[in-house]
Amino acid sequence: MTVEEGELLGLIGPNGSGKTTLLNIVSGYYKADAGTIAYQGRAILGHAPHKLARIGIGRSFQITKIFKRLTVIENMLVAGLSDGKAARAEAQDRAEGLLRDLKLDRLRDERASSLSGGQGKLLEFARIMMLSPKIVLLDEPFGGVHPELKRFMHDRIRKWNAAGTTIILISHDMGSIFDLCERVVTLSYGDIICDGTPEETRNSPAVLDAYLGDHHGSA
Amino acid sequence: MSLTMLRVTGSGLLLAGFLILPFVLGDYWIYTVTIGFYYAILAASWALLVGYVGRISFAQTAMAGLGGYVSALSVQYIGLPPVFGLLLGVMIAAAIGFAIGWLTLQLHGAYLGLTTIAFAEILRITATAEYNLTEGSRGLQVVPLLENGTRVEYYFLFLMITLACLALMTWLLQSRVGLFFQSIREDEDGAASLGVNVTLWKIMAFAISSAFAGLAGGLQAHFVQLITPSMMSLQEMGLVLAMAVVGGFHNVIFAALGGVGLQVLLEALRELGEWRLVVFGLLTLLILRAAPNGIFGIIFDALAKRLLTKGRDE
Repeated sequence: MTVEEGELLGLIGPNGSGKTTLLNIVSGYYKADAGTIAYQGRAILGHAPHKLARIGIGRSFQITKIFKRLTVIENMLVAGLSDGKAARAEAQDRAEGLLRDLKLDRLRDERASSLSGGQGKLLEFARIMMLSPKIVLLDEPFGGVHPELKRFMHDRIRKWNAAGTTIILISHDMGSIFDLCERVVTLSYGDIICDGTPEETRNSPAVLDAYLGDHHGSA
Repeated sequence: MSLTMLRVTGSGLLLAGFLILPFVLGDYWIYTVTIGFYYAILAASWALLVGYVGRISFAQTAMAGLGGYVSALSVQYIGLPPVFGLLLGVMIAAAIGFAIGWLTLQLHGAYLGLTTIAFAEILRITATAEYNLTEGSRGLQVVPLLENGTRVEYYFLFLMITLACLALMTWLLQSRVGLFFQSIREDEDGAASLGVNVTLWKIMAFAISSAFAGLAGGLQAHFVQLITPSMMSLQEMGLVLAMAVVGGFHNVIFAALGGVGLQVLLEALRELGEWRLVVFGLLTLLILRAAPNGIFGIIFDALAKRLLTKGRDE
């Protein structure tokens, strides 16, 4: 499977198809039994998650992993200062800009534990963008999110993608996948069963079989 | 008054109190508070590891003992001046702390706690068994840190070192390292996904915390001029844990105040004999249940809340 630079790719499949496992392997959390992963021509399989984050691979988690006892701005600074190079003032400026962009600036000094679920998702977005990633792996970012906030998140995803960030989006929300992505890859039991446009994916018998079972059309 | 002003005023008042104490207290209580400074560094070093990084350890007093023995033995057998002995103790404690941190990287909660207990017991039993070197349970005579030093001189030396340690810890915890520590406490995977080298900082936290404990142990040994393996016992560890919890282990200064406060209380309750430890145990349970931020945490939070309310009213 190849992902082109600047692409916004949807990754779908029934539960247990291996979407999150793939994402965990790419981001260094799981070891692979076999195969290779190349990023900008470099083999990265087996690299530690923090190293991958520093070379531009950002990710979110199905259940947000925001630091609840830290304030919103401190959450941002962890990402901004983790490479050991950025000055605090510079990181702070960037963090504040991103918080403004995601309408979280008034919550700057609040503890992350006081954020709503949707605000937590936005904070996770903002933290990832602090890394200035080249590729972002989003795992179910719309789960439990209010439709209005979802539209706002769509808008930001499009904006980052338009700015050159490659995005791989995992979601069970087909509306979002088909709305945002030009290419959709479908997994089933770890295999790619379809790789095409939203239209091709919608009409693929293999995809329908994977989601509804072999005999969906026989009744 | 802002929160910063509250912090500065509180610290100033406490410092003034500690500076005046030797002029109003008798020799016995000066000695007691000086020992309290040893516990203050130890409790703060434990709080740094547990409160900020979320890594539990029951080997803190063992590290203090290690620092004490290394310093005492290097002065006695190699002829190092006590100050260099102390530094060597700090370095060895840091190195062993680094090794424990590395060995226990994948362990959490009860498993981590049990492993550190095993390590502490290995150190204590080794110090007891190596009679030819350490004089076992009888205790090893240690060269004093100050030649003909008075109690007041030791008091001020310990106060100064305690303040320096707390300043260093506070600086570290307010730097990016403090943020990395707290992010690891909150969620290791989340921290790694943002570029934090979780492995390195978990190990470093053990090393740094152990270095402070080693320094405290070395100071104590040269002050009391005797070191015994009981310094590394689990009962001592329980005492340090109680001090940090009662003071407030989410803040190194509160934990340090708990160290001094409980040491003074321990001496004040001496008439109760072993029962004072029961009192301490109950107090720790009560604080953990009712006030997880510790006594000083509650006081600070209450004052801060009052300040904020007053500010809003005005």
